[in-house]
Amino acid sequence: MANSTLEMVHGLLYGKGLRFGQPSGGARVIAAMTGDHADVIPFMGPQIHDHAMTVAKVPARKYYWTAELLVDVHRAVDRWYGFDSDTIIADAYNFEVEALGAKMIYSDLAMPTVDVSDPLIKSAADLDKTGPLDPSRARIPMAIETGQLFLKKAPGPFAGGFFCSHWSLICQAMGYPKAVRALKRDKGLAKALFDWVDEKVLFPFMQAYAKAGVKNASGADAWAAFPDLTPELVEEWVVPYSKRFGEKCKKELGLTAAAGTAAGDYCEEDPTKFDKALMFKCWSAALKTFPLKVAFSGMGRTQEWDMSWLREFALQRGSGGHQIPIMASLNGRFMRDSTPAEIVAKLCEWIDVMGRDGRMLVFIGNVPADTPPVNIHTAVKAVHTLGKYPIAADLSAVKIDPPAFQPFDEWLKGQPEEDIIMRARK
Amino acid sequence: MSDASVQAICKAVTEGEDVQARDLVTQALAAGLAPLDVLNQGVVAGITQAGEMWKANKYFLPDVILAADAFKAAMEPLAPKLKQAGAPSRGKFVIGVVEGDMHDLGKSLVGAMLSSAGFDVVDLGINVPQDKFLQAVRDQQPVILGLGAYMSTTMLEMKGIIAELQKQGLRSKVKVMVGGVPTSQEFADEVGADAWGKEALETMSKALNLVGA
Repeated sequence: MANSTLEMVHGLLYGKGLRFGQPSGGARVIAAMTGDHADVIPFMGPQIHDHAMTVAKVPARKYYWTAELLVDVHRAVDRWYGFDSDTIIADAYNFEVEALGAKMIYSDLAMPTVDVSDPLIKSAADLDKTGPLDPSRARIPMAIETGQLFLKKAPGPFAGGFFCSHWSLICQAMGYPKAVRALKRDKGLAKALFDWVDEKVLFPFMQAYAKAGVKNASGADAWAAFPDLTPELVEEWVVPYSKRFGEKCKKELGLTAAAGTAAGDYCEEDPTKFDKALMFKCWSAALKTFPLKVAFSGMGRTQEWDMSWLREFALQRGSGGHQIPIMASLNGRFMRDSTPAEIVAKLCEWIDVMGRDGRMLVFIGNVPADTPPVNIHTAVKAVHTLGKYPIAADLSAVKIDPPAFQPFDEWLKGQPEEDIIMRARK
Repeated sequence: MSDASVQAICKAVTEGEDVQARDLVTQALAAGLAPLDVLNQGVVAGITQAGEMWKANKYFLPDVILAADAFKAAMEPLAPKLKQAGAPSRGKFVIGVVEGDMHDLGKSLVGAMLSSAGFDVVDLGINVPQDKFLQAVRDQQPVILGLGAYMSTTMLEMKGIIAELQKQGLRSKVKVMVGGVPTSQEFADEVGADAWGKEALETMSKALNLVGA
């Protein structure tokens, strides 16, 4: 296992221009985040739990309940694809409400989901009767163990626990339409809901993480992405609660809790509605909750974006003519539905626009279960080839041969994760 | 009652004032306004306006949710009167979210838009097993079957449902639409659907095309 501290130092120095040795994946990410660039543009490990489960052919009822299996499947699949870092999370939006007694639906093939037809919180009166969260209940111990194993097996700046952030948790507990109604029509109820999440649900969860030695946790908040929430509502509600929560966890628990991740993510689906001013507002709101100062695209229909806008935003927020790091995501459905040639062409265009001066990272915005593996292998190879510094003047002249890779089951033979994956299949 | 009252209904629906919309419809009907006029010039005009504002980036999902709520509230006193008046229907539209998937929001928005377009919407709900879809096609004889999914794992159920419709000789009797966040035109083509609904307004428009309206 690589030494994460050395990786970090290597990445820091490499990014600042001391370019020696071959940077590891983790060092590449650090270099692009904190300096100019590494040897190549890094391809970060995406949110991939559905797809990883499908590739590894393990049953959902084991995978979403067993921390070691979840972590090892992620590690194996991430390595098979050649990602430069890991993102290891399960169905991050469900754990808290499940532990509080929400009605859930479990299946053999898919992650657990909340039954919103019978919500946990039906009215304000339910807030007094529900919670505080007992961290020994349901799959909370699994989440904590996942965080511990992530830190142990793939240490680095992104290793740690996960949780469902405030607004998304409210949506999970009462359904999005009712939650929106509270936000727009009943600010007293909205405040009570946010306070309930903050004090009675998330803080006990973070206490349990801290007690278990997990001192870093990321709080997903996709229900606060645009257009589910406007940037104004994100600024009014999500940003202050995320900020306060982070400060409280740091002060009282010594834990870094990054609440509100993905809030403000621009997820408009209709290209005819893309609006530059609105995008900038969304990215500004997103910057306030994201744990790092980055220009971030997440789950949006990025294949249709004019990426010069994201570059312009990154330059505006940077200094000395340098952009802040850009984390550019390939849309999950684009990855599933495109041909390898289309993926290469898109990356060629993006690297030309955003990657020439460094500070660019690529990932996929949540990989769909049935994405053809060849598409992901192609994307990783293309980023590592086209994104080799210095970037070629004419990227269209750089040839990307089809990726050579073994089928996952063949590759798995002799890997450290072989045994647990094969046992899970039985 | 006059144009002013239907305009007020339209405004209340557009602005998502559910209680006001229901009250105004009740008052309009009590005052003798024709149910079809209340529907078309008030309630449908209101939800259509909300849809237009959504298209124009003036409304966002929270606003559309409130407008859909107001639409539903306005339809409560109106639906029985429309039935009595024998209002024409564009046919039955059976809609549901596939098994293993509990995401209700998109399906409910689509249902509201389809109702406003004159479809008789039969909502099977969420987490609907394949057999229930097939049974509904046999029993309800809809003109369109709508399948929704929110997850890339559960959307794969759609392929099985369409294949089973084919196997049981039902496929030629019903048009099939698929929709939901992880779906795409490519996916709709792959599973053999007749149309893909990207969002609620487009779904309504494509549904009308499918029935030749």
